[in-house]
Amino acid sequence: MSKYNSKYLEDKLKTQLEAQHVSVVDESDGCGGKFSAVIVSAAFNGKTLLQKHRLVNSTLAEELKEIHAFSQKSYTPDEWEKVKEQQQQQ
Amino acid sequence: MPVVVVTEAEEYQKRINADKTTVALFAADWAEQCGQVKDALEELSKITGDKLQFISLNAEQFPEISMKHQIEAVPTVIFFAKGSAVDRVDGVDIAAISSKSKKLAESASSAAATGQTLEDRLKALINTAPLMIFMKGDRNGPRCGFSKQLIGIVNETNLPYETFDILGDEEVRQGLKTFSDWPTYPQVYVKGELIGGLDIIKELLANNELEATLKG
Repeated sequence: MSKYNSKYLEDKLKTQLEAQHVSVVDESDGCGGKFSAVIVSAAFNGKTLLQKHRLVNSTLAEELKEIHAFSQKSYTPDEWEKVKEQQQQQ
Repeated sequence: MPVVVVTEAEEYQKRINADKTTVALFAADWAEQCGQVKDALEELSKITGDKLQFISLNAEQFPEISMKHQIEAVPTVIFFAKGSAVDRVDGVDIAAISSKSKKLAESASSAAATGQTLEDRLKALINTAPLMIFMKGDRNGPRCGFSKQLIGIVNETNLPYETFDILGDEEVRQGLKTFSDWPTYPQVYVKGELIGGLDIIKELLANNELEATLKG
């Protein structure tokens, strides 16, 4: 049980990372222990995969102490365009 | 060395910050079980010799310290290495207290023998094999969904790898998070470099970069 919900995490990521798109899904049936996130931000430009994930992890450092499972897909705006194209093709 | 009863916050700080790993019993006079644990610690202190130091303090006398370590019931035993809590046992679980103390005493003596610090140990561990996975459980029995998925993906590449079960070593479990600035497990290392966790491995797989990355 953690005190965070997807709305809270979305807002925090959006503000702190100046993200253009964030969606966080609670996969724990509401108990707040498991989330998955898609984050699109220009803050990721020029960063490696590892650096992007580190940035997100450090933004949520406090929260991750309580959230048991957190998975993320973090894209730059360019990468996000490609992802959306691929999704449309499928 | 017998169990030292600590009555001053200053002495407590000095003790837990010492190089020697500290086993601290948070107790209360009115709780009979605390005496039982204290007796057990006296016995342990004889076995472990000078590898560990044992202290006992009255939890109610130190509300701030008790709060900091979320002592919700007495007795609680907390293990400190250089000031930070590395493990704990809540309640009268003599078996757990004893096995954890012995383990810490062993790692203290091996560290003393080789002069190895935790950092040296972590560096050696992440370089155990070119492809190294720190996970919960092992490849045959992953003990968390993420570790299990990870092993499944890495097995597909047919690359050789070694694993380390962080559930069996609290010092490594906490230490590696700080050392590598990565808050979760599993963690994948190639030639001693952190690649990332499951999300990153999945993304590399999706981008057809996984095999090349894992080969280093």
